[in-house]
Amino acid sequence: MHRSSWMFLALAVCLALVAGCAAPVGAPTTGVETEETAAPAEVATGDEVVIRLSTTSEPTTLDPNLAEDYYSITPVEQMFLGLTNINNETAEIEPELAESWETSEDGLTWTFNLRDDVLWSDGQPVTAQDVVYSVKRAIMPETASPYAYVLYIIKNASAINQTAVPTDTYAIDTLGVEAVDEHTVQFTLEAPASYFLSISSMWTLRPVPSWTIEEFGDAWTDPANIVVNGAYKVTEWNPGESLTFVKNDSYVNAADVQIERVELAVITDQNTEVALYESGELDVAGEGAGSLPVEEVTRIREDATLGAELHEGPRASTTYVGFTMTKAPFDNVLVRKAFSAAIDRETMVRDVVGSGVPATQFAPPGIFGAPDPEIGIGFDAAQAQAWLAEAGYPDGAGFPTVTYRYFANTLEEALAQALQAMWKETLNVDVQIEAQEFPVFLAGLKNDVPLEQMPEMWRLGWGADYPDENNWVYEVFHCTDSSNYPRATCTEADELAKQAALEPDQAVRKELYAQVETLMFQEEVRVAPYYHRGYTILTKPYVQRAYPTFAPVNWDTWRIER
Amino acid sequence: MIRVIIRRLLWFIPVFFLVTGITFVTMHALPGGPFDSDKTPPALVRQMEATFGLRQPLYKQYTIWLGNVLQLKFGPSLAARGKPVESFLLPGLAVSAQLGAFALLFALAIGLPAGILAALKRGQWQDRLAMLISILGVSVPAIVLGPVLYWLFGLHLGWLPVAKWADPSDGLWPYISHAILPAVTLGAGLSAIVARLTRASLLQVLYEDYIRTARAKGLAERVVTIRHALRNSLIPVVTYLGPLAAGVLTGSLIVEQIFAIPGMGRYFVSSISNRDYPMVMAVVVLYAFIIVMVNLLVDILYVFIDPRIENT
Amino acid sequence: MTTVATAPVLANPRRSRTLWQDTTRRLARDPLVIICLLYLTALLIMAFIPARLAPLSYEQTSFSDKLASPGTIAQDPKLGGHRYLLGSDRLGRDILSRLIYGARISILVALMGAGISFVIGVSYGLVAGYSSPKVDNLMMRLVDVIYAYPALILIILLQVFLTTLSQQDLAETHGVQRLIVRLDQDSGGLFFIFVAIGAVNWLNMARLTRGQTLHYRQQEFVQAARVVGASRWAIMGRHLLPNVIGPCIVAETLAIPGYIYTEAFLSFIGLGVQPPTPSWGSMISDGYGALRLAPHVIFFPALALSLTMLAFNFLGDALRDALDPKLRNR
Repeated sequence: MHRSSWMFLALAVCLALVAGCAAPVGAPTTGVETEETAAPAEVATGDEVVIRLSTTSEPTTLDPNLAEDYYSITPVEQMFLGLTNINNETAEIEPELAESWETSEDGLTWTFNLRDDVLWSDGQPVTAQDVVYSVKRAIMPETASPYAYVLYIIKNASAINQTAVPTDTYAIDTLGVEAVDEHTVQFTLEAPASYFLSISSMWTLRPVPSWTIEEFGDAWTDPANIVVNGAYKVTEWNPGESLTFVKNDSYVNAADVQIERVELAVITDQNTEVALYESGELDVAGEGAGSLPVEEVTRIREDATLGAELHEGPRASTTYVGFTMTKAPFDNVLVRKAFSAAIDRETMVRDVVGSGVPATQFAPPGIFGAPDPEIGIGFDAAQAQAWLAEAGYPDGAGFPTVTYRYFANTLEEALAQALQAMWKETLNVDVQIEAQEFPVFLAGLKNDVPLEQMPEMWRLGWGADYPDENNWVYEVFHCTDSSNYPRATCTEADELAKQAALEPDQAVRKELYAQVETLMFQEEVRVAPYYHRGYTILTKPYVQRAYPTFAPVNWDTWRIER
Repeated sequence: MIRVIIRRLLWFIPVFFLVTGITFVTMHALPGGPFDSDKTPPALVRQMEATFGLRQPLYKQYTIWLGNVLQLKFGPSLAARGKPVESFLLPGLAVSAQLGAFALLFALAIGLPAGILAALKRGQWQDRLAMLISILGVSVPAIVLGPVLYWLFGLHLGWLPVAKWADPSDGLWPYISHAILPAVTLGAGLSAIVARLTRASLLQVLYEDYIRTARAKGLAERVVTIRHALRNSLIPVVTYLGPLAAGVLTGSLIVEQIFAIPGMGRYFVSSISNRDYPMVMAVVVLYAFIIVMVNLLVDILYVFIDPRIENT
Repeated sequence: MTTVATAPVLANPRRSRTLWQDTTRRLARDPLVIICLLYLTALLIMAFIPARLAPLSYEQTSFSDKLASPGTIAQDPKLGGHRYLLGSDRLGRDILSRLIYGARISILVALMGAGISFVIGVSYGLVAGYSSPKVDNLMMRLVDVIYAYPALILIILLQVFLTTLSQQDLAETHGVQRLIVRLDQDSGGLFFIFVAIGAVNWLNMARLTRGQTLHYRQQEFVQAARVVGASRWAIMGRHLLPNVIGPCIVAETLAIPGYIYTEAFLSFIGLGVQPPTPSWGSMISDGYGALRLAPHVIFFPALALSLTMLAFNFLGDALRDALDPKLRNR
C-alpha cells in the first residue's frame, strides 16, 4: 500500500482505539439492577412505573450525616427516614420514624418513641441505637459534618464537635443522646428549645446503618453497598450523568408507593433542561434550588401548552443586600434606610428574576415565627430621598462612590446591575458593582477582614435549614452567636432573639420574633431583604404531586395517572 | 522508533513536576477553601480542613500527594465528599475522548475535501466558497450553534435527540444519534482549521519542482495530485493533531454543558471554583499526560509518513 | 580598436519591486481584502469614539422595555421615544449602543493579546533560533513543557489570582502589586485577560519564529554580516528580523480570532469583563438564557463576533497568499 494510505489507516486505527478503549472504561457503577434507558416520550417500560427527573447539580454525597446542599438532601430524603417528617402539602411536622414524642417539664429532655416495624433494606430492624449512632457520628469531629452545628443544642455537642483532634480528646458518651431501649431515644439539651421538633426532621441526624459504614467506610453509599430504610434506594450512579433509584420493597409503607423507578439525570444547563422537557424526555423540569431563567419563564407563560404545565410558588429563601454597619457612610442608619427604600422590589421580582415574591422582612411566611402581616421597609422613592437628605446627602450630593459586591453568576449579575440602576435613579448615587468568585467572595466578608477591604454593601441570602425563626434571625444575625457579616453591635434585638430561643410558649415566641424582625430590619436595617425566592417547575399533566415551600420533596407521595 | 517512544515518555517527568508544582502553589494561594460556606461556622470549617490535611505546611501536602500519585491514587474529591477523584475523571475522560474523536472525524471529513478543492481551484469561486463555508464553522460560536442545532433537529424536526449521551451498549443508532449534534458543534471550528491547513500546504506542494517533474513526465493530473502532492501535503495536518486534540478537550467544555454530556470538561472550571485541590491536580496531570501521548502519536505517525523527517 | 560600451536601451524600463510592494499591490487588488479592511477600520473608529456613535449609554436600563424586539420604540418616558434599532436586552438596555461600546473590548483584546504574544514570542524564538544548539534546545524544551499545561486552567488560575490581587484597596498596596492594581483599574478589569491570553499564546509564535530563524541564519547575507563584524543583536535585529517577521505577522493575524473568541468564552463562564461594561462575549453570555424568547439579544453580538473573526481570517489568508513569492505573477 502507498504510504499515504498507511498514514490514513494509522490515523483511523488510533481514533478507533481511543474510542474503543474509552468505551469499557465508561461503564457505570451498577448495583443489583441492570441499566435500562426509558425510550423518550414513553414513561412505562413494560409494567414498571418510571418517572424521569433532572437535577442541575450532582449530589455531592448520599450520606445523611454529610449532606449539605439541596441536591444531596433530596436523594437522602427519599432513602433515609427521619424522626419526623415535614408534610409536603400542609407543611406540618408529622411522625415518621417516631410515633410520638414528649418533652420534660424543664424542656431539657426530649423523648422520641420509635415505631417497631421499620426495617433496613437488608432485613435488620431500625432501632434507637441506629439513631444514637448517627447523632454521635454527626458530632464526631473526624466525620467533618458541615451541618453538625444545627445539633449544637444537644448537650456537649458543640464542645465535642470542636475538639482539636488528634491533639485533644473527647468522650463521645457525654453527648446528650441515649437509647433508653430498642425503640426509645432520649435527647438532653443544653437549654430548652421548642424548635428542636423542627430539627428532628432534618437529615443530619437520621439513623444510618452502622454495620455497613464499618464494613465499607467512605464507600458505604455506593449503589452496590448502600443499605436504606426509606422508600427508595439508589441502584446506579453514572458520575456526571445520572442516578437511578428503585423502590425499596422492605420500606414499611411500600404498598403506598406507586412510582417504582426514578431516573435522575444531571443536566446543568437550564435551557437544555427545558428543551428536554419539551421533547418529552423529562417529566419534570426546573426543580433545582433556584428557578428557571426569567426569559424562559416568560416564554413558557406565553406558550399555551407549557403555560398550563408551569407551577409557581414561594420558597423558604430570602435574598438581601447586606450592609457593613461599621463602615461609613453606612454606619448611619438613615443611609441604610434610604438604600433599602430605594429598591423597587416589584420590578426586581417581575422583570429581573421572573419568579418569587417581593420581601420586606427576613423570614418568609411559612417559617414558624415569621411576622404576619409583613413588616419592614418597602419601595418608596420619596421616602428614600427624604432619608438620604436627612442623613446629609440631599439628592446624593457629596455621597461617596461605594461598592456592592456579589458572587459571579448570571442572575446575580442582572440583580446587581438592576440595583445599581435603581440606586442611581432614585438616590442619584454612584455604586460600583464588583463580582467575585464564590470562595473569594465569602473569604472577603469574614469578621477578621479589615474594614478597608470590606465592601460597603454585599449580596447574601438565606435558605431555611429548618422551618423556625431561630434558624433565621438568631443563627444568621445574632451579634455574637452567628457569623454576623453586617458587624452589628449588640442591641435589644439580639437579647430578644436569644430569649425566644429558650421560650417554651410558642405564642410568646411568635410575639418576640415579630419584635426582633421589626427591630433588625425596619429600625436598625442591618440588611435590606428584597425578595423571597420562588420555584418555577414544569410538570407533565400526568404527574400528580405536591410543591412544598420548604422541606425536600417526597417522591413516594407522587402519582402517575395516564 | 523505540528511542523516540522512550524519550517522549521520559519527557513526561519534568513536565509533570513543573505543571503540578505551579498548579499546587497557585491553587493554595487563592483565597477561600473548599469547605467555606456562609452556613458553616468558621471553627467547624477549620476542623474540616484539618481532617483533610489542609492545614499542614504546603511542602508536606505536596509530598503526601506525590506519594499517593505514585500509587496511582489521586486522592478524595473535596467537593464530592470523599469519593476518589479517579472515579469521576476517568469516566468523564472516556466520554470526552469519544466526543472528541467524533468531532475530529467530522472535521476531517469536511475539512480535508474542502481544503483540497480550494487548493485545486485556487482563486476561483470554488476556492472562495469552500473557504467561506469552512470558516463559517469557526466563526459561529458553539454557544449559538449548539442550541440552534438541537432546536432545529431535535425539537422542530424531531430527527435527533435533543441532548444527553448514550453508551454504545444502548445500541448503535442511539449511540450515534446522540453524538451527532455535539460532534458537529464541536467539530465545526476544527473543520475550518483543517481546511485551511490542507489548502495552504497542498498549494505549497503543488508548486514544488518534483510535481512539475511529474507533470513533465506526462502523468495525468489526477495521479499527480493524489499520489504525489496529497500525501506530502498532509504533514502539517498531522503536526497540528497535537494542538487539535488539546483544543478539542478544552473546547468540549461548552458543548458538554449545552448537550448535558458527562465529559471531563466541566471539571476544568468547577474544580477551581470549588477549591477542590485534588481534582484540579488530577485534571492538570491528566491533561499533560494526554498532550505528551498525542505528541508521541504524532512522532510515530511521522515515521510512517516521511522517512526524511529526522527525529532530533 | 576601440569599443565603446553603451548602456543597453530597453524598450520598457521596469521598476524593481520589493516583496512588500508586490504584496501591497496584490492585496489592494482583492475586493474582499478591501471590504475586510474597511470593516476593521469601522471597528477601530467605534473603539475610539463610542460615545459619539452610540445613541444611548451602555448602562441605561429601562425595565418596562426589557427584551424589546428590534425596531420597537421605548415606552419609558425618560428615554424620549428612542427607537431600539437592534432591540433591547433583559434589563432594557439598547443593544446597538452596547455593541458599539463592546467593540472597544474586542479590538483591545485582539490588539493587546496579539501584541503581547507577538512581542514575547518573536523575541524568544529569535534568540532561541540564533543561539547555540544547546541553548536552543533548552529554550524549546521549556516551550514544550508550558505547552503541556492546560491553557484553560492556566488562564482561569491567572485570572482569579490576578483579579484577587487587584481587588485590594489601592492605598494598601505597594510596589509591583500597586502597579498591577493601577493597570487593572485603568483598563476596566481587562488587563488580566490580555496577560492571560498573551501568556498562553506566545508559544506558537516562538516556535514559528525559531523555525524561520533557523532557516535564515544559514543564508549568505547573515554569514556576510558576521564576517563584517556585526554584533549578535545587530544581526538578529537588522538582518534576521525583517525576513522572519512576514510569516509571523500572518500567523498572528490568524490567531486573533482565537483571542476574541477566548474573551467571549471567558465571559461565558463568568471570568470576563466586569458588568456593566459590555463586551461581545458578555453580551452573548447574557443573551443565552433568552435564546428562544428573544433571539436578537444573542444574535447581534454573535454576528459581530463572527464578522470580526471572519475579517481577520480573510485578511490573514490574503496576507499569506500575497507574501508567497512562489505565487508571484499568478
